[in-house]
Amino acid sequence: MGSRPPRVTSSGSALGARLTRREDPRLLVGAGRYLADVTVPGVTHACFVRSPHAHAAIVAVDSAAARALPGVRAVLTADDLPHRPLLDAVAVPDLRKTPQPALAAGRVRFAGEAVAVVLAESRAVAEDAADLVRVVYEQVPVLTDPEAARTERTTRLCDDLPTNVVYEGGREHGDVDAAFARAAHVLSGRFTTGRFVAAPMEGRGCLASYDRADDRLTVHSSTQSPHLLRRKLAACLDMPEGRIRVLVPDVGGGFGQKIPASPEEVAVALAARATGLPVKWVEDRRENITAAPHSKDQIIDMELAVAADGTFEAIRARILGDSGAYSYNSASTLIESYLSAGLLPGPYRIRDVAWQVTAVLTNKTPISAYRGVGWTASHSAREVLIDRAARLLGRDPVDLRRQNLVREFPHTSPTGMVYDSGSFVESLDTAAELIDYPGLRERQRVARETGRYIGIGVSPYVEPSGWGTEGAAQSSWSFSSHDSVRITMEPSAEVTVAVGTPSQGQGHATSLAQVVAEVLGVDPAEVTVLANDTAAVPMSTAGTRASRTAAVTGGALTLAAQDLRDKLAAIAAGLLDRDPGELVFADGHVHVRGDSGPALPLGALAQRAYFDPAVRAAVPEPDLVVTRFYDPPATYSNGCVMVAVEVDPWTGGVTVIDAAAVEDCGTMINPLIVEGQVLGAFAQGVGGALYEHIPFDADGLPLATSFADYLLPTAAEIPPVRLGHHCSPSPLTVNGVKGMGESGVISTPAAVANAVADALVPFGAEVDRTPLTPEYVAGLIGDPDRPQSSS
Amino acid sequence: MSPDRREVSLRVNGADRRVTVEPRQSLADTLREDLSLTGTHVACEQGACGACTVLVDGASVRSCLMFAVQAEGCEVTTVEGLASDPEELHPLQRAFTENHALQCGFCTPGFLLAAYELLAARRGPDEREIRTALAGNLCRCTGYQGIVAAVRQADEQWERDTPGPSSGER
Repeated sequence: MGSRPPRVTSSGSALGARLTRREDPRLLVGAGRYLADVTVPGVTHACFVRSPHAHAAIVAVDSAAARALPGVRAVLTADDLPHRPLLDAVAVPDLRKTPQPALAAGRVRFAGEAVAVVLAESRAVAEDAADLVRVVYEQVPVLTDPEAARTERTTRLCDDLPTNVVYEGGREHGDVDAAFARAAHVLSGRFTTGRFVAAPMEGRGCLASYDRADDRLTVHSSTQSPHLLRRKLAACLDMPEGRIRVLVPDVGGGFGQKIPASPEEVAVALAARATGLPVKWVEDRRENITAAPHSKDQIIDMELAVAADGTFEAIRARILGDSGAYSYNSASTLIESYLSAGLLPGPYRIRDVAWQVTAVLTNKTPISAYRGVGWTASHSAREVLIDRAARLLGRDPVDLRRQNLVREFPHTSPTGMVYDSGSFVESLDTAAELIDYPGLRERQRVARETGRYIGIGVSPYVEPSGWGTEGAAQSSWSFSSHDSVRITMEPSAEVTVAVGTPSQGQGHATSLAQVVAEVLGVDPAEVTVLANDTAAVPMSTAGTRASRTAAVTGGALTLAAQDLRDKLAAIAAGLLDRDPGELVFADGHVHVRGDSGPALPLGALAQRAYFDPAVRAAVPEPDLVVTRFYDPPATYSNGCVMVAVEVDPWTGGVTVIDAAAVEDCGTMINPLIVEGQVLGAFAQGVGGALYEHIPFDADGLPLATSFADYLLPTAAEIPPVRLGHHCSPSPLTVNGVKGMGESGVISTPAAVANAVADALVPFGAEVDRTPLTPEYVAGLIGDPDRPQSSS
Repeated sequence: MSPDRREVSLRVNGADRRVTVEPRQSLADTLREDLSLTGTHVACEQGACGACTVLVDGASVRSCLMFAVQAEGCEVTTVEGLASDPEELHPLQRAFTENHALQCGFCTPGFLLAAYELLAARRGPDEREIRTALAGNLCRCTGYQGIVAAVRQADEQWERDTPGPSSGER
C-alpha cells in the first residue's frame, strides 16, 4: 500500500457492484469504432502476398503486372524495406533466438508467411494486385513433425542455429526417482493438446502514417499492448520510441493473439515510412487462421506416482512444444512448453516434481500467447492421469482430488509458486453441489443400462493471475512489469484516469472506474478511463495480458485515487476548518463525520483547488493530478470446472449436457464482468476440447483455413453453465484483487476430456488428446454394441 | 476505378439511399464504406460467423455474401436502425447490456439482428429455440449465456405485434 496510511475515508459502494458496463450503449448502437472503421485522408490499403509453401527459397519476385494495375500505389518486398528483425526479449537461460523479418527475405518458413505487401486505393484492388505478383519459389524439405524436427540436422529452420531445438532444459524439485521407486502406483501416458488459434472476432490490423517532416510515426493498431508495439516498432524501424505514437481503437477481442507486435504491423509501418502514404491493413479471416500466431500444441509424456492411499507423491513430465517457424517475438515459444512445466503440480500437494522441456522449430505458423498459455496443456495431461488413477484405485475422482488439494495457505509449490490464499477444496465442493454430482452419477448409471453413455469430468485449477514481476518470477519467467497510471480531477470534478492497459472486451471502462469511484466516493459514471493512446497515457510495458489489469492497473489506480483523496482532503480541511481525519468522501461530496450539515460538493472543492489562490496557503501545490506505480506481489486465483457429457457411441459425437464453474479471484471489482470472463473462457475451453485444431498435411499446409473448418462452438453447443463464487482475497495485493479470466481455458478441456473418458469406461477407452473429434471418439469406442464391461 | 459501376437504390433504416458500386461489391462493404454505417462488422467474409448480419426486407442476411446490386429496391435494417442513440436503446439492446451479452462488441450487431428476426416472428421461444436461432452467429467472448438470457428478457419486455406461440405445441 501507500507510504502513509490514508487518514481520510470513503463510504464507497462501487467496488464489488454488479454494474452494467459503461461501454455497452455505444457498442450496442453500432457506434463502436474498431480498426477497420478508422481512416485518414489519402489512406491506402495493404494486402500481403503470402507464401503458398511451407518451406522454400524465394528465387524471384516479379511485381510488374501488379504495379501496372490501375489503383496500385506500390508493391514492396523485404529488399525495399530494410529493417531490424523482430526478436523476443525473454531472458530464460539457453533459449535460442530466431530473428523474424517483417517480410520473408530469401526464404519462407511457413505457409502464409508474408513475402510482399501491395498498397492500393482499396483492399479489393490490393487483393487483385496481390494475385498478380509472381513469386518463384524453390521448395526445400518440410518439417512438420516436432519429434522428427528435434533430431533433424540437415533441414534447419534457422541457419544460425545448429539444430531446430530452440530450448532444451529440465529441472528436478525433490527426489523424484525415489518417490517413483516407492510409489504403490505409477500412472503414465502421453497427452497431446491441439493447435489452437485465438480467433478473436476482429482479426488483427493497423493503420500507420509517417510524417517525414517531423520524423514521427503514428500507428492505430488492434493491439493489447500499445507500449510494447511502440517498443518493437522503434527497434525494427530504428526510431526513438518517443517519435512513435500508438493509438488503440475499440478492439474486437484479443485473447493473447494481439499481445505481440506482428510482422505485419512492422511491415505496414515500414511501408508507410518508405512511401509517405498512410497504410491500412485489415486482416481477413484466412490470414488470421493461417498467419496470425497459433497456440498450445504440446506433446506431454507424463508420469504420476500415487501412494496406496491415493496420495499424489510425485509427477514428472517430458514436454515437447511445437514452436512453428519462429520463436515468436513477444514471449518466445516458451510461452507454451516452459510455462506448462511450472504449473505441473497445479492445485495439489505434490512434493516431488521433475520436468524436461524441449521446444523445436517446424514449418508451421509460429506459436504465441493464447488465453491460458502453456498451462492448458500440462493441466490437461495431469487431470487425465488423475482420472486414470481414480479408476485404477477404484476411487471417486472428486474424492481423490479433494484428498490431494492444497488446504493451507500460503502454500509453496515445488516449482516455486507461492499460492497466497484460496478455496481449493471449497470450490471443488461447490462445483459438485451446483451440478448435483450424486444425481448425475445416478443418471449416468441409469443411462448406461439403456445403452446411453454419460460421463462426468471435474477439473479444479489454480491460475497464476495478476502477473507482475514476482508472479512471473514464480513461473521462472522474466517479465517486464512496469505500470504507472495517472488520475486527474477536472475543475468540474469529473475524473479521468489514464492507463496503458486497453480493453479488448473486458470492460475496463467500467471496472477501473469502479476502483477509482470507490476511493473518491463518486459515481463510477463520473470516471472516464482513457487507455487508447501512448501519447496520452503512462507506460505499461506489458499491456493487457496475463489476467493482470484488475490487479496491476486496478491496484495502481487505488493508490493514485487515495493520494488524490488525501490532497482533496487537505484542501477541504482548510476550507472547512476541520481536521482531514474528520472528512468522509461519499456521494460526490466531502462530509464531516458526525455533522449532518451541508456537505461540500467535489465540484466546488475542485473549483477552489484550481482557481482560488487562497487555497495555496494551506496546500502549496493544489494540482489534482496524481501518478502512481504498482507492481503487485504474486497472487493466484483458483476454482473448479465440472461438466457432464453424453457421447453418441455410433457417431462419436460429444454433447456437453451440463456444466458448473466456480471462480475464486479474491475481491471482485464487478461480479458481472467476472462471470462474463468465466463463461467466455469456458466456451473457449469447450471449443479446444471438442472442435478447435489446425492440422497440417505432410507438405506443411494448414488444413483449417476458415470458420468452416476451424470450428468455434456456437450457442447450440454450449450448455447453460451453473456459476459459483468463493472469495479469498489476496493478503498481498491492493484490495485483495487477484485478477482472473484465463482459468476456463486452462481447466475446461481437461474437464471435458475426463467426462468423455468417464463416459467411455464401458468400452475400456482412454483419451490421450484434444480435440476429441467425433472421428477420434468413434475410434476409441470401436463397436458401439460391444462395451467391454457394464459398470 | 473500374468503369463498370452500377447505381443501386435501396432503403436503409427508413431512408432512401442511392449508391454507385462495382457489381462485385458486397452489401456489407457498401453499408460500411458508401453509407458510413460501420456498425455492420465483417469478420469472416464467408458467411460463417454472422457478424455482418442485417435484415433485408425483414429477413436476416449475411451482408458479406450479398452483392449490393442485389439489394436494389430492398429495405435494409442495420444495427443503427434499431436505435442509434445510446440514450434510447431498443428493448433488445437494453436486454443485452443488462445481461452482459456483449464483451468486445464486434459480433454484437449481428446477434442483435438475428435475435430481432427471431423475436419479430415469435413470442416465447424457449432456450433451445433461441440457441438454435443464434447458432449461425459466432461470439468468441461471452460463451453465449448472457446473449440467450438477453433474448429471453427482450421477449418479455419488447412490446410488439408479434402473435404468441401457436397453441398446442408447447
